Amino acid sequence: MLEKLIGGEKLEKRALEYIQNYLKIFISAQECLKTLLLTEDLERSYCIENLEREADSVRREIISTIYKGAFLPYIRPNLCTFIEITEKAFDFLKTCAFEFRYINKEFYKDIKDDVVRIASINVEMAEILYKAFQSLLKKDNLREKNLAIRICEKKIDELKLNLTEKIRQKEITNFWEGKNVSDFTEALAKISDIIEDASDYLYILDISLK
Amino acid sequence: MSKKVSEIMNTKLEIISSNDSVYSAIEKMIDRRIRSLLVLPKDEKDDYGVVTVRNIIFKVLTKKLDPHKVKIGEIASKPIIAVSKDTSIDEIYELMEKNNIARVFIKEGDKIIGVVSFFDIMAHILIERAKT
Repeated sequence: MLEKLIGGEKLEKRALEYIQNYLKIFISAQECLKTLLLTEDLERSYCIENLEREADSVRREIISTIYKGAFLPYIRPNLCTFIEITEKAFDFLKTCAFEFRYINKEFYKDIKDDVVRIASINVEMAEILYKAFQSLLKKDNLREKNLAIRICEKKIDELKLNLTEKIRQKEITNFWEGKNVSDFTEALAKISDIIEDASDYLYILDISLK
Repeated sequence: MSKKVSEIMNTKLEIISSNDSVYSAIEKMIDRRIRSLLVLPKDEKDDYGVVTVRNIIFKVLTKKLDPHKVKIGEIASKPIIAVSKDTSIDEIYELMEKNNIARVFIKEGDKIIGVVSFFDIMAHILIERAKT
């Protein structure tokens, strides 16, 4: 769909390549978080910060290419908003990795299964978001991608409920330990909300271009 | 390669005792918006069972029996079909089709740890489709 509107101009092609690259970095960051939570190897927590910095620079390239004149003026803010929504997910990924460094490992044992499962679903959602963006370009079936993302989000909502129930049964005596667990789980579960928002935004963009 | 069933199973199992009344099962199902409950074995020799909305409708309500008086153990389907958590999802499709069942339980040793229903299978297929 966007290809039809861009008319094969250089700036537009470059901007679209940047956006796809940005979404690939997003998938890598999600995979990195999943590996961190699975292996508990704290060295892995730094790769998320590196990927976030890389994504930041790509995001700046996207925005500047768009405002150099890529795309018709009415599409520009929509694409920028899509990128800004996804950027919020990077913030939550970073928070999650940061808080994980300080989490009580004994406590973590009891919630690890649910946490890893949420992280795995987040990876799937990021992959589908990338495919959804490609569908927008190819005028493919974006509706199916959007539905799959909504299904994943629902699964994460259920897992979050389960996780919260488990956490509530634990006695937390230290304020910082409680805050750490709360911030960690909150950030982990928020990532899927952001991906769902981004997917909804793509869907609206697709409809508005028809 | 097909995913393992443990990757899509629902681990939040709602359970009920064989000695509970059908009415308490109805309450649980309505409160939690679910269609089946895992029935715990009475003793070590007994098997796990399952009680579904279908069991309740056709074995109690349409026969005008009093759900307060009928025990879960009297209407539960036993034994349940359970597979190991390493079973592939493709095998689950076959099992469901062959036995005409809507859910397959997942076990680890002798313990039931999850369940996969038609809805989980449909969600899985839609997610895999979206990833292609």
